[in-house]
Amino acid sequence: MSGDDIYHEELVRLAREAAGAGRLPPPASTAERDNPLCGDRVAFDVRLEAGRIAALAHRVRGCLVCQASASFLSRAAAGAGEAELRAARAQVAALLAAGAPAPEGRWRGAALFAPVGAVRSRHGCVLLPFDTLAEAVAGWRG
Amino acid sequence: MRRELLARLRADRAAKRPAVVATELAGGEVRLLHPFEAGEPGGAALLQAARRAAERDRSEVAEVEGREWFLRVFNPPVRVVIVGAVHVAQALGPMCRLCGFDVQVVDPRRSFATAERFPGQQLSTEWPDEALARLAPDRRTAVVTMTHDPKIDDPGLLAALRSPAFYVGALGSKKTQAARRERLRRQGLADADLDRIHGPVGLPLGAVSPGEIAVSILAQLVGRLRRPEGAPGP
Repeated sequence: MSGDDIYHEELVRLAREAAGAGRLPPPASTAERDNPLCGDRVAFDVRLEAGRIAALAHRVRGCLVCQASASFLSRAAAGAGEAELRAARAQVAALLAAGAPAPEGRWRGAALFAPVGAVRSRHGCVLLPFDTLAEAVAGWRG
Repeated sequence: MRRELLARLRADRAAKRPAVVATELAGGEVRLLHPFEAGEPGGAALLQAARRAAERDRSEVAEVEGREWFLRVFNPPVRVVIVGAVHVAQALGPMCRLCGFDVQVVDPRRSFATAERFPGQQLSTEWPDEALARLAPDRRTAVVTMTHDPKIDDPGLLAALRSPAFYVGALGSKKTQAARRERLRRQGLADADLDRIHGPVGLPLGAVSPGEIAVSILAQLVGRLRRPEGAPGP
């Protein structure tokens, strides 16, 4: 288990940047999820316009991988719709589980999570922010 | 003890409000005092004696201005906050409760902090810093961390050391303790704070099971509570 390889420079930097950390004033849809095994907890606020993400903010308590994923999403998910977000999530899951190629376009930066693929117990840490954001998007009533 | 005073004392205990019942030995006068609150009637000297008894958690006879009083201390239970819903906690929780302590087990990992694993135990899935901000540890609170995950243990220790908790312990080997000390120092803690950590936690009994480890921790904790100057062990 190459535990240390997943904490490469780009991932750590992304985690520490914490792009998008904070809260959105109303109107916003909020979702909160956690990982029962490791205690990571993510909350996303999101606002949609014409079915696309117009603003988002997050609060994360958890490991660096989870923080990096939330930070990545804060930039990559801007302007995406629900279907595109879910498709990206599926592609990132495949990247982690089977070494499939990273998604394209605005999501291509997800390639930085490829080393996490080697540590199965940490896949959830990458995917938790995706699932939380997707839940917030699905809950939007604007 | 008069019925009305007993009713007030019951209310104090329900509210976890420290109280001292002072009985004058010669004449039998009885007063209910709240030694840590301002504006208490009863004379400064008597109140000061009551405060000392409450701080020492020991009922005693005291001479105040030529009169002898028996000071019966009614303190709220000692609180123990265990960070980590792990095997040792499964033993330590019930043992602390048998001592009459008020125990909270805190672990943000919901799969660990379950009622099945901890029947009858107060549980929280908050992060330790959140739980400790809510619980506001005081001089009669002990905090022990045991998840072995710095992500979870460190915020618990930081919050505990910023409080007046009488006992702060961290499970983990000597090597882990050294690395932890460095991480906490980088977070701004001074040596005086870091020296408060009992780590490796527990008396050196050579404990081999979660139950024995719990015994070693509880013994050290009680020693620190009852004999703060001369507690045995590290």
